[in-house]
Amino acid sequence: MSEPKDKTPPAPPRPDVGEPDPVTARALALLERRAPGAVLAHEPGGRHPWLRVGADRLREAARLLRDDPDLALDCCHLISGVDWPETGEMEVLYHLVSYARRPDAAYRRRPLKNDPFVCLRVRVPRDAPEVPTVMDLWTGADWHERETYDLLGIRFTGRKELHRILLPEDWPGHPLRKDWEYPADYHGVPIIPPEGL
Amino acid sequence: MSPGGVRGAAQGPGGLVPGGLYGGGGEPAAVEFHERQELVGRDLRTEEMVFNMGPQHPATHGVLRVVIRTDGEVVRALQPHVGNIHRCCEKIGESVPYYQWLPYVDRMDYLGAMCNEHLACMAIERLAGIEVPERAEYCRVIVAEVQRILSHIFAVGVYGLDLGAFTPFLHQFRERERGLDLLDHLSGGRLLYHYVRIGGVKRDLSPEWLDELRAFLDAVERRLPEYNTLLLHNRIFQDRTAGVGVIDRDTALRWGVTGPSLRAADVDWDCRRDVPYSVYDRFDFEVPHGHSGIAGVVGDCFQRHWVRVREVEESLKIVRQALAGLPEGPVLANLPASLRPPEGEVYVRAENPRGELAAYMVSRGKDTAYRIRCRGPSFSNIAVITEVGEGTLIADLVALIGSLDIVLGEVDR
Amino acid sequence: MSRDTADGPSGGAGLDPELQQSVILTKVEWVKDWGRRHALWPMAFGLACCAMEMMATAATKYDLDRFGAGVFRASPRQSDLMIVAGTLSHKMAPRLRRLYEQMPDPKYVIAMGACVVGGGPYSRFGYHVVQGVDLIVPVDVYLPGCPPRPEALIDAIRKLQFRIEERGGATLGAPAAAGRRASA
Repeated sequence: MSEPKDKTPPAPPRPDVGEPDPVTARALALLERRAPGAVLAHEPGGRHPWLRVGADRLREAARLLRDDPDLALDCCHLISGVDWPETGEMEVLYHLVSYARRPDAAYRRRPLKNDPFVCLRVRVPRDAPEVPTVMDLWTGADWHERETYDLLGIRFTGRKELHRILLPEDWPGHPLRKDWEYPADYHGVPIIPPEGL
Repeated sequence: MSPGGVRGAAQGPGGLVPGGLYGGGGEPAAVEFHERQELVGRDLRTEEMVFNMGPQHPATHGVLRVVIRTDGEVVRALQPHVGNIHRCCEKIGESVPYYQWLPYVDRMDYLGAMCNEHLACMAIERLAGIEVPERAEYCRVIVAEVQRILSHIFAVGVYGLDLGAFTPFLHQFRERERGLDLLDHLSGGRLLYHYVRIGGVKRDLSPEWLDELRAFLDAVERRLPEYNTLLLHNRIFQDRTAGVGVIDRDTALRWGVTGPSLRAADVDWDCRRDVPYSVYDRFDFEVPHGHSGIAGVVGDCFQRHWVRVREVEESLKIVRQALAGLPEGPVLANLPASLRPPEGEVYVRAENPRGELAAYMVSRGKDTAYRIRCRGPSFSNIAVITEVGEGTLIADLVALIGSLDIVLGEVDR
Repeated sequence: MSRDTADGPSGGAGLDPELQQSVILTKVEWVKDWGRRHALWPMAFGLACCAMEMMATAATKYDLDRFGAGVFRASPRQSDLMIVAGTLSHKMAPRLRRLYEQMPDPKYVIAMGACVVGGGPYSRFGYHVVQGVDLIVPVDVYLPGCPPRPEALIDAIRKLQFRIEERGGATLGAPAAAGRRASA
């Protein structure tokens, strides 16, 4: 538990049950050996184990995790963004899974029925949210990054131009930001229903 | 020509992008121009053409829009544009209580509604630490597998339709209607059910319904060879799909392709077997993957079709085993009127008919979630055509998109 | 056929009884409307969930062809009925408008499903969902349900046919967004 006190998020996910997650433990050991200092904080077990890295070392950590033959995290399953206005931060989570490594029987018998995955998370300031891309590591991250930009306004740097994907290009704002307000209309077509929100 | 060729064309007279109502909203000019002319003789002057396939097109399974740059019949570059039915599922998840969010999950993948509900309920239950009665788990598996059968035979029939065969579509609807009636009798809805609830299922399975279900399973089993005669063993169908749109193992993993499309690329993975959720670890079933042994090469459209056909057979097996082992007991746990999971987060994945649906949820102790993020399998599956579609014929692009079996509701969420 | 001729403005009271058996007197306009309402060519315009029920209506069990409306066309230029089945988003709205404008007159619109009737379940928090397709194109028949059952779609098509019979072949719906929520 090396969570720094000054940057405590509003909802720090605490372990509620259980021993350390073996997959995350392996990933942590790898990163501590090959990229010392990259992991800023981590959650070793519980329902949702994770590793936090700095935005500047995200690509290094991601590449190490992908190329490690033991972990073989060959698929970037999901990229999610979360807005934390209280601390003035935005967070990007990378859920990485492996299709080459099947979990062994012992893993499946754990009382926590969660699946093996490695969650990397990155915090960036809310007023200038910029995260380096991982699109060259996992091509499928392209659309996930575009969606995160579209709905939360987090910019991904070092990739080809970043466009909105779901909403039209001239859409006002980023809807999943907590302070986003519903516009009255879009090109004259009302958005807020007559009975109000 | 400049890399901005598409945008230029879109703004020209008789432009490609219908922007009449909203003015020049504009779309990303993301199609890159490839100056390759190897198929054309030097003295023959040809011009590349950029056009739209969709969003209103019978072969895009909804409102997918693909901007294609072609040289004759050959697709030089393509860029899918999605978002035409973005329905704000994640924003709604942050705005309404957990119980009320479930109907929206149904509408994400409207051909796999039961499976969607199953995953959403699992995620919320894990977040709140709710134990589900054993009989309810069996009910969930049964309805989810019936849904998978319905979804797959629909996919098989509609794939025939994409390739110009109308007969399989009409034939599969006979069994599909039976299955829809079955779920209708259980839940009151033909397409969207809201049957799986947090903590269990809405209603118990009655003995009459179970008899009806057995008759349905027998009917599907009897009819499967008929579909296979019409498509799988049909020479024309094989010629249209074998060796077309090959997604190899590496490409599939890089793009995050999941489900039948991943198994067709010879990745032996099925969440139900490898990271079992619910009570799937109690059933014995095979995971079809790799080459069918009938036609084509690994990872082509034919193998994807074959995987779906085989999965119907396996789902029949699972439902029969679940019926045999169906325990007695309650089907719904006691829950508070207002569900407030403790602070925490979860990440849950499950095998849907189209691939792996996953959800990441953050709770801050309120009755609404702080953040809900869903991974629609079709979203990642359709992205792959950007790479695989290059260099195919236009007609083969239709075969490729059809074989991925996307549901746009899930792509856009 | 017999019902339609009886309803039609066929006269011929003073004619030879034998002629009355073999000759129908009517107006060209009436015959055109009769043909029009029994040969509606819907455009396959599936947007979301309701499209599945629209397909089910056209398929084996419900067989929309029995009511003369089963020839689904992929092109707006060949169709005179637009069944807007599914959720209409702000991104899709200009395309829908353009497709509607491409259809030859007279043309009809059925708004199928709660989403296109008035935003449906997405009305409140769905920022990207248009609050009813009648803000974009005129609508002739509103068909609620989420999704409506195939029987309901058949009923909507029958209602449209009766309306064509009553009012003649002109495009019927009110101008887009005329009355409803003009203040919104």
